[in-house]
Parts: sequence; structure tokens; C-alpha cells
Amino acid sequence: MYKRYKWIVPATFLFLPVTVYLAFVIIPTLNSLFYSFTDWAGYGADFDLIWLDNFARIFTDRLFSNAIKNTATWLALAMSVPTLAGLCLALALQGKNAVNTAYKSLFYLPIALSPIIVGIIWVWIYSPQLGIVNLTLKAIGQEHLARAWLANPDTALIAVFVAWAWQQTGLNMVIFLAGLTSVPVPLVEAARVDGANYWQTLRRVTIPMLRPATVVVMALTAINALKSFEVIWVMTKGGPFNSSDTLAVFMYSESFRKYKMGYGSSIAVVLFLMTLIIIVLYFRQTAAAEELYD
Amino acid sequence: MIKRRLAISIIPILVTLFAVTPTFAQGEALAGDFTVSHYFGGFGGEFIEEIVDGFVAENPGLNREESPVDHEQFKTSILVQLAGGNPPDTFSYWAGARIQFIVDGDRLQPIDDVWTENDLGSMFPQAVIDTGLTYNGQIYAVPLTLHWVGMFYNTALFEQVGAGVPQTWDELVEVAERFKEAGIPAFSLGSRERWPAQFWFDMILLRTAGNDYRNRLMNGEASYTDPEVVRAFSLWKELVDAEYFHPDANAYDYIQSADFVANGEAAMTLMGTWIGGHYTSDLGMVPGEDYDYFAFPIIDEGVPHASLGPVDTFVVSKEAANSDAAKAFLVYLTDPEVQLAFADGAGNLAPSLMADTSGYDPVKQRIAEEIARDPVFAYNYDLATPPPVAEVGLNAFSEFMARPGNFEALLERVQQDAAAEFADLN
Repeated sequence: MYKRYKWIVPATFLFLPVTVYLAFVIIPTLNSLFYSFTDWAGYGADFDLIWLDNFARIFTDRLFSNAIKNTATWLALAMSVPTLAGLCLALALQGKNAVNTAYKSLFYLPIALSPIIVGIIWVWIYSPQLGIVNLTLKAIGQEHLARAWLANPDTALIAVFVAWAWQQTGLNMVIFLAGLTSVPVPLVEAARVDGANYWQTLRRVTIPMLRPATVVVMALTAINALKSFEVIWVMTKGGPFNSSDTLAVFMYSESFRKYKMGYGSSIAVVLFLMTLIIIVLYFRQTAAAEELYD
Repeated sequence: MIKRRLAISIIPILVTLFAVTPTFAQGEALAGDFTVSHYFGGFGGEFIEEIVDGFVAENPGLNREESPVDHEQFKTSILVQLAGGNPPDTFSYWAGARIQFIVDGDRLQPIDDVWTENDLGSMFPQAVIDTGLTYNGQIYAVPLTLHWVGMFYNTALFEQVGAGVPQTWDELVEVAERFKEAGIPAFSLGSRERWPAQFWFDMILLRTAGNDYRNRLMNGEASYTDPEVVRAFSLWKELVDAEYFHPDANAYDYIQSADFVANGEAAMTLMGTWIGGHYTSDLGMVPGEDYDYFAFPIIDEGVPHASLGPVDTFVVSKEAANSDAAKAFLVYLTDPEVQLAFADGAGNLAPSLMADTSGYDPVKQRIAEEIARDPVFAYNYDLATPPPVAEVGLNAFSEFMARPGNFEALLERVQQDAAAEFADLN
């Protein structure tokens, strides 16, 4: 008798989180999927079902291919730069001493900042007249390199990326540091005894053992990269003239600046599918990694 | 206790009085929650707050809720509220294509009843009523302020290089050249948020092709590849190519670029009258002494002279919870004293014909005369053309400032995109 009602306890505890998840994730996602089949402007009550028209338009839209190109660049940079930087920092700071602890906190600090604040800080760093980048270039006699980083269509995307990577690197460092603690010391010592130098130990022992951490870092970075919006919006709003438009920014511009919520939703669906693919790949990789160590 | 009894005995008398008085509707006490939303941040916000306070003080039954947001954010947040069916009772909005856009979306209610009741039609210039307040044959808005776009300049710099106020395009180029020789950029433009660049296109097009052609372009009846538009861009390009502009326009916002003029790094900026609010209130500059203005020079003789600028209005949401209070607030805003109070603080002009402009500073007084003299009042680009099209144009203007070279190809692209947006709207 008692056993039959066993489900009540977990159901009670799950009620709140499931409701929140439904209200703020599942229902809006389905809603957005629905609107992607409409021509809704975003505020009026009227809209027509236009089924796949939005998706057909996506593939002829010059600005969409521009956003895809920028997102691909962003993703490629995101997978390499902050990952490598995070790994290097973790390797450099893995020993336990006061200096390392201080540096770790310092590099982790940007994570504690809201992306909006990060954006504002970097807008100042890049300021053409008073920014530290141009002032430094002037101070070392490289004035010809100084430019309006965020206003120049050739540099805007990279400049915003650097700000984003600055924040992402700290997160990657922490994950790699955690991964390093799980590298068995006897294994490293055995390699040393066998005559392996630092680089050989790193390549043959430490990095292979860091595979689970690397998978986490890569997956998180990819997902963060695809959804990165705030920093870009604060720093350039996708400009100048769409040169730093990523899919997320493009989606927002079409929805809220051009008032084409239906079309914006279809971009959101594409973005969602891209992220989903990465998440599926991530779970398959982690499952494979777990099998490897089981 | 006695007071209470008195109140109780007075109430039936008052009710009877109101019931037999024809002005009952106006005299009815307003009550309930009242929400106002507006985009006047910075140097306008505090003044609009005072106005709302004044209105609520006159109507103590109201419980005021106000939610000021950043100017740029407002454009998004208000639409989210409208879409969510939970809009403020009344909010500020830009006259022109933007109001038309939400009227067409059936999100506003007409105010013809209070308009006629209070004879508001006699209080504002007909041009403003026709183009700014009337949509699909009904009145939807009341104007609070009028802005005017002109060239604001640093008087000391003009004296320094011995430049006079240019009346024609040739004179403008001559003055710009003089500044260039002195090592000072003539024009400061901060198009980081894109919209400040539109004034250059607007003014050159208005002074060459005229307002009728421009209206057709804004409605999608003319093309961005027309000779009229090409000529406007060619003239603009002359100035960019000659390096008369302060470098990196897209790197600065309009305040920074106006500050270049204020601190002598550039000579003039093409901007709206709100910049006067910044110069006087924030920087303590004296109008007519530290800075002055001139109307954008004549380019083609015979083209009717036009004023350009936005008109800020207040509108009533269709789903307003407190429509009565919202409409009463709109009527309150038409009071010349209220209009003057706001104009005084924010550097703008009162649209009311009843407003006594003798209290304006000398710069504003001359601008008011300028507007009264001009046969045409045109709205700036992003308020004259539908928002999705404006997006296309605004991006093009900032692209032009960075890469003026092959603007013909740019205009072809703009035309293609604009035509697609117009097709979507119809």
C-alpha cells in the first residue's frame, strides 16, 4: 500500500523545478518554434502562418550568411584561443603556493563580472583617443597601428572576441586545474623515472589524462560561443554595419529592431539546432570518455 | 468626527451637482493605478518626472507608477510590453512612421474624444497635426516637444579662423576648407549608434530633391538608385573625401562628438536641438556666446526650405488599464506652461502655438522663428520610413562613413533590401 504512493515524495520535490523549467524553457522554446512558422511582427495581434517561408528566406538572406560566417569565425577562435590560454594558465599555476593562488584568483576574476560590465570595460580599453590599447601603441612608438578598433569593420569582430575570450579563459583555467588534480601523480613520476622530459610528460601523460576536462571545456566553450550576445551587443550591437553580427545578435536585430519576430524566431530555431548538435556530440564524447576510464 | 460627518453630507450634494453639470466627464475624479513610460533618460528624464508629479498632484486619487528606461532600450522594451498585453497606460513615442507602425498593429487607442472636447486642434501647427498626430484619419497622439536639426558650432573657433555663417553649399565647403587649413576637422559626427549620420543624408536630400521626392523615397515609391539619391550621396562624399570630418565617426556616440565641438577639437556638428540641453545644462555653455547654430545651407535654389527633426508625443495604449487617466494626462501635457517647462529643461521647443516663447534663450528663439518660417516640417529618416527599412538605411549610412568609395554599389544593395522590406510590410 505504502509503496504504491512512493512517487508522491519525488513528485512533490520535482513540482517546483519542473514548473519553472516548463514555464521558462520548454514553453518559450515551443512558442518560439511556433512563431518561426509565422510572420508575426512582435507586438500586434495579427499574424499569418507562412510555414517554411522564413526558413526558405534564411538561405537567401545576405545578412544571414554574413552572421553564419562571423559565427563560424567566432566559434573557431573560441575553440582555440581561450582553450589554449586556459590550459597554459592551468599548467603554469597548478602548484600550490601563495603566488599561484593569487594569480588564479586574478585570472578567475573576470568570470565574476557580468558580460555587460566586461563589455563596458573593453569599450573603454578600445576607445580611440583614451583607450589603453591605443595609448600603449603610441607610447611604444607604434602609433601607425592605433585605430578605432570597434568602429573598424575589419577589426570589430576580433576586438569583441578578445573581450569575450578574456572572460572565458578564466573559466577554462579552473576546469583544467580541476582536471589536473585528477592526473595520477605516480603516472607522471613513472614517466619522469623513465627519462621523459617536461614536454614529453606533458604530451604523452598529462594532456591525454586531461581528456575529460578538455571535453567539458570544448563543449562549454562551444555553447557559450554560440549563445554569446551580451558582450557583442554592449560593444558594437553587431556593427559597424553588421560586421560583428553573430547569429544571436542577428536574431535579436531582426526580431527587435526590424520587428520581424517570426523571422527572428526562425533564426533562433536554426541556432537552437546548431547548439543541440554540439550538446549531443558532447554527451557522446563524455559517454565515450567515461567508458574509457570505467 | 465632525469633519467626517461634514464630508458625508457634502458627498450627495457634490454628486447631484456633478450629475447636472455638463462637464461631468472632465470633473470626474481620476483614480486607480496610473503607469507612464518614457524614453527621456539623461537630460529630459527629471523634467518629465516633474510633469508627471504635477499631474498626479492635481489628481490625488491616482497611484503613479513610472518606469524610465534608457533611450535605446525603450525601443525594444515598449514593444515587449505591448506584445505581452501589459503596456503602460501612456508612453512617449516618436511621431511619424513609428506611431504609424503600432497604430497599424492595433496597439493604440484614438483620442479624438478628448481632442475635440478640449479643442486641442487650435493649439498646434496644422503641419504637426497632419503628419505627426493623425494616423488613418484619427488623432492618436499629443506632441510634447519639437526638436530641430541644425548645425551647432563652436563660436570661438569660427572667430579664430575668421569664418562666417555659411548660407550656401559652396560657402559651407569654403568654411570647411578654412578649418582644414587650420588643422581642425570642420564636422564632428558620432554615428556609433548610427542615427546621427542620417541627418546628413536627410538634409542634403531635402535641400536638393526636396520634401516631396523624399516622402516618396520614405514610402517606397522611389528608389535608392534614383539620380536624386546618388546626387545626395555624391555631395556628402565630397565632404568625406576632402577629410572635413573628424576621423572615425562610427567610434563615437553623439554626446562625444558634440563634446569635440564644445572643447574645440572640431568646429560643428549636425545635430538636434537636444544637444543645446547638453551644452547648457551639462557643460554650462552660454547659448549664442559659446555655441550657436545655423540652418543647413541651401544647395539648390528654388527647393522649398524644410525644417527637419523629431516630434516627441505621448500616446495611449489600446489595452491601457486606466484610459481615463491616460487621456487626461495627454490633455495636461498640452498646457503651454507644461510644454514650456519641459522645453526649458531639455533644450527643445514647445510645439504649442499658445506657448510664450519670449523666455527662450536667443538660440532657441531664432530656431523657433526658423521653424515657423519653413513651409515644410520633415521627420528624420528613422522616423519617416518604416522601422525595418530604417534599419537598412541606418546601416548603410554608417557603412558610407567608413567606406565612402563605391557608394553606388552600396545604394543598389540598399534598394534591394529596402524593396524586400516594403514588400513584407504590404
